[in-house]
Amino acid sequence: MSAALRGVWGVVPPQKAGMIPGWGSGLVVDELSVFLLVTLAVVLVAVLAYAWADGYGVRFHALMLLFAAAMAVTVTASDLLLLLMGWEVMGAMSYALIGYVWSDPERVRSADVAFLTTRAADMGLYAAAGFAVAGAHSLKLDDLATANAPWRDLIAAGVVVAALGKSAQLPFSFWLSRAMAGPSPVSALLHSAAMVVAGAYLLLRLRPLLDATGWAATTVSWAGALTALLLGAVALAQRDLKQLLAASTCAQIGFMVLAAGAGAVDGGTAHLIAHAAVKSLLFLCAGVWLTRRGTHRVVDVAFGIGAVALAGVPPLSLWVTKDEVLAGVGSSALLAVGFAASVLSAAYAGKALLRLFQAAERVPVPLAQRIPLAGLAVAGAGLGVLGLPGILGEAGPVAWESALAGAFAVLTVGVVVAVRRVPEPAWALRWFWLERAALAGVVRPGFAVARALARFDDRVVDGAVEGVARGGRWTAGLARRRVELRVDGLVGAVGRAARGLAALARRPQTGQVHLYFAQAAVVLAVLVLVAVLAG
Amino acid sequence: MNENPADLAPELCVLIAAVLGLVNGLFLPRTRQWRVAVICAAGLVAGLAVAGVAATRPDLMAFDAFEIDPVTHVTRIVVFGSTLLVVILAAGQVRDHPRESEHYTLILLSALGTVALGATSDLLVLVAAYLLASIPAYALAGFGKDAPGTEAALKYYLMGALLGVVMLGGVTLLFGVGRGTAYPMLREGFADASPAVVAVGVVALLAGPLFKAGAVPGHFWVPDVTEGAPPAVAAFVTTVPKIGAFAALYRFGAETSPGGWAVLVAVIAAVTMTLGNLAAFGQDNVRRLLAYSTVSQAGYLLVPVAMAGRTDLAEPAVLYYLAAYAVTNVGAFAVVLAAGRDDLAGYTGLLRRSPLLGLSLVVCLLGLVGTPPTAVFVGKVLMFGAALDGGHAWLAVVAAVNTVASVFYYLRWIIPLFGRRTGRPAPRPARGASTVAVVAAVLSVLLGVGSGIALTAS
Repeated sequence: MSAALRGVWGVVPPQKAGMIPGWGSGLVVDELSVFLLVTLAVVLVAVLAYAWADGYGVRFHALMLLFAAAMAVTVTASDLLLLLMGWEVMGAMSYALIGYVWSDPERVRSADVAFLTTRAADMGLYAAAGFAVAGAHSLKLDDLATANAPWRDLIAAGVVVAALGKSAQLPFSFWLSRAMAGPSPVSALLHSAAMVVAGAYLLLRLRPLLDATGWAATTVSWAGALTALLLGAVALAQRDLKQLLAASTCAQIGFMVLAAGAGAVDGGTAHLIAHAAVKSLLFLCAGVWLTRRGTHRVVDVAFGIGAVALAGVPPLSLWVTKDEVLAGVGSSALLAVGFAASVLSAAYAGKALLRLFQAAERVPVPLAQRIPLAGLAVAGAGLGVLGLPGILGEAGPVAWESALAGAFAVLTVGVVVAVRRVPEPAWALRWFWLERAALAGVVRPGFAVARALARFDDRVVDGAVEGVARGGRWTAGLARRRVELRVDGLVGAVGRAARGLAALARRPQTGQVHLYFAQAAVVLAVLVLVAVLAG
Repeated sequence: MNENPADLAPELCVLIAAVLGLVNGLFLPRTRQWRVAVICAAGLVAGLAVAGVAATRPDLMAFDAFEIDPVTHVTRIVVFGSTLLVVILAAGQVRDHPRESEHYTLILLSALGTVALGATSDLLVLVAAYLLASIPAYALAGFGKDAPGTEAALKYYLMGALLGVVMLGGVTLLFGVGRGTAYPMLREGFADASPAVVAVGVVALLAGPLFKAGAVPGHFWVPDVTEGAPPAVAAFVTTVPKIGAFAALYRFGAETSPGGWAVLVAVIAAVTMTLGNLAAFGQDNVRRLLAYSTVSQAGYLLVPVAMAGRTDLAEPAVLYYLAAYAVTNVGAFAVVLAAGRDDLAGYTGLLRRSPLLGLSLVVCLLGLVGTPPTAVFVGKVLMFGAALDGGHAWLAVVAAVNTVASVFYYLRWIIPLFGRRTGRPAPRPARGASTVAVVAAVLSVLLGVGSGIALTAS
């Protein structure tokens, strides 16, 4: 954090709002989250303005606002409890938004896949929360790094799994391909300032925890770098523009994750913000082409700027921020992978740029969509200033590295545009068959285990219950045949005896007075006898 | 010697009401004889009020024969109270009857005799009270001048005459033994007299009160009179004279304590309750059923009488059971009057037809069983306590078995109430009798719920 920005920031102290007394839970707007909040707000305004022109309804806006609010809670939460709340609501809203066109079963299935994949990874965050309570006796994000040895590692592992899942890093990347089933404005928000960046943000935020464990930082670095490289290749091989952009999102977030692992927090943040602007711009442009089946000059120009920025062509934003990330990477192997990924990003950006050369009909695009596109294009081009020394970057990128990277980017884009043809191997086109692998490796075994357990439940557990019931009926039958008959007979005998006695008791009541007299006299005589004997 | 007539003010109120009623009845036209009912009811209310005030004063002896003590207070209040209910019941029955005023007067005189029966501690007054309580009741039983009523009155009178004569014999014998008729003198006389003579005398003496109480062997009249006499009279003779009879029995037992008293009365109690319950099993006529039910209740009431002098629980048990029984029994008879049916089948669907009346009947019958929270339940608990405390556990067991058995025939009456009536619609229930039934049911529950207050206050 530069001194200049720190000065500006110093005017506004961190804002806190408590939630659960005693747990120190609350929302904090600090140096990291303030940038994310502003980015989120700007992108949200642009996307909603665009969506308004497309005439989306109440449900869409409600879901989008909830989605953005959940993201805002996630980035400002100061403890795991609130973070989980925001995290979960965001996941649920992503499900609702991806499956927005619910009448199409395929889209709903895509929403299922995306939701279940991120949910599965979210388990890591729940586990981390449990371990945090056990090990650190606190859910505050600041305290997690201070937990004792085994707990700290378990917390870090849970957080890393959840973050990689949410950010669609390897091996979870395939859900982002499925997420393309949602409308373009959804993709524009989901891929830029919300959802996928939440994982990268969490890793950036929990940098002290990653450092404390030792292994986690390295793991995260490699996960990010490999995702950047391999998903870059996937992006290059895609034929569909939205799929290309989706894979490129994975790859670009790989740079942020790499930054988190390597300790380049400022570079990662800058990259996150610049990428948010560029990627939302690209998705909105793609949305215009898809929905209006034509193009417009403003859209073409905006897309061109976005694609060139994505390629990392100097002096546009991602060139600066990506180099700042790479400048923070210490290991040369990681640096090599990152550099290769950077070249690949230029290549797929070039391939995206080719889209502009296809002949397309000119169609009118409303002002409400042109303005956000123009604004995002300006931001995407100029946000590189964030990476300059003195704004967000502590140490600026090394000059010759930057120059080299810029040269390579320009060269790669030039080659791709010139050649107009890139290899499209099946493994890259199909996203390494990651979804199929997940189906075969996780889903089918899971169902197999579930079926086996269901059989166990039916045969053993339920069988025992039914056995008890059968035993009860058998015993009841026994009691009815052997015991009940005798008891019943006894009851019947008592009843019959009572009836007999009752009939007998009515006999003296003859209705004839002389018999009454005789009986009374006899009874009195007997009573005298009783009295004499008793006295 | 205390000869202050003011000590007998409650009785005097009722006597004056009876006399005023009779005199007024002579001069009133037939359609306005209901005024006599008002006079009699007013006399009873006044008697109740004065008795209530008298109950707060210390115990004393009046005219050397009337003991004004808790037994007398309760006897007065319960007798006057239940007589008041009966007068209201009767008012609906004998309205514009040629001898309407005589009816009320006879009821009041019989009630007076009953109070005297319970209050006296002298054998001669006991005999006089017996006659005063009995003779108006004979007349009442035959008041309808119909065949069943006449037969009932004759049987009632003949049984009363026989047992009254036996009682007079017993009084003579005991007078000879004890050289006096006052209970304190008898107590001294029993100490050094031949046990056999005392036994014969006591049994003979008991014949009278047992007749009034409707207990073995003086129970033969109960079913016949209850079925044959007018229903209001049946309610009266199965309720009011019993109160005085049990008070007299208890007082005699407690104050003279002849040898073998507990065993003798316990045997009578056991036989009475068993006979009453068994005979009630097969009855299809609700009045006969109620008659046998009163016989069995007499058996339960004899339990604490047998324990007189042996436990402190005996007196509250007798008095509480008496009050509870009187209210509940009048309530049950009031329902019979209101419904106007004597056969069990006539009560099918009563709860649907007139829910309040049906509910009152359910409360009264369950009360007679001894179900909480009705008053008879408290009385029965005290009765069992007295039997156990007095060392006659077997009697408690017999009473418990009888109570269980009694559920049968009470339920035989209760269950049809919930059924659905088929056939022609029944007449609307009489309003006055219905009111009395509801009041009695409410009183029964109140006496049960408020038993804690009533028992600790006394």
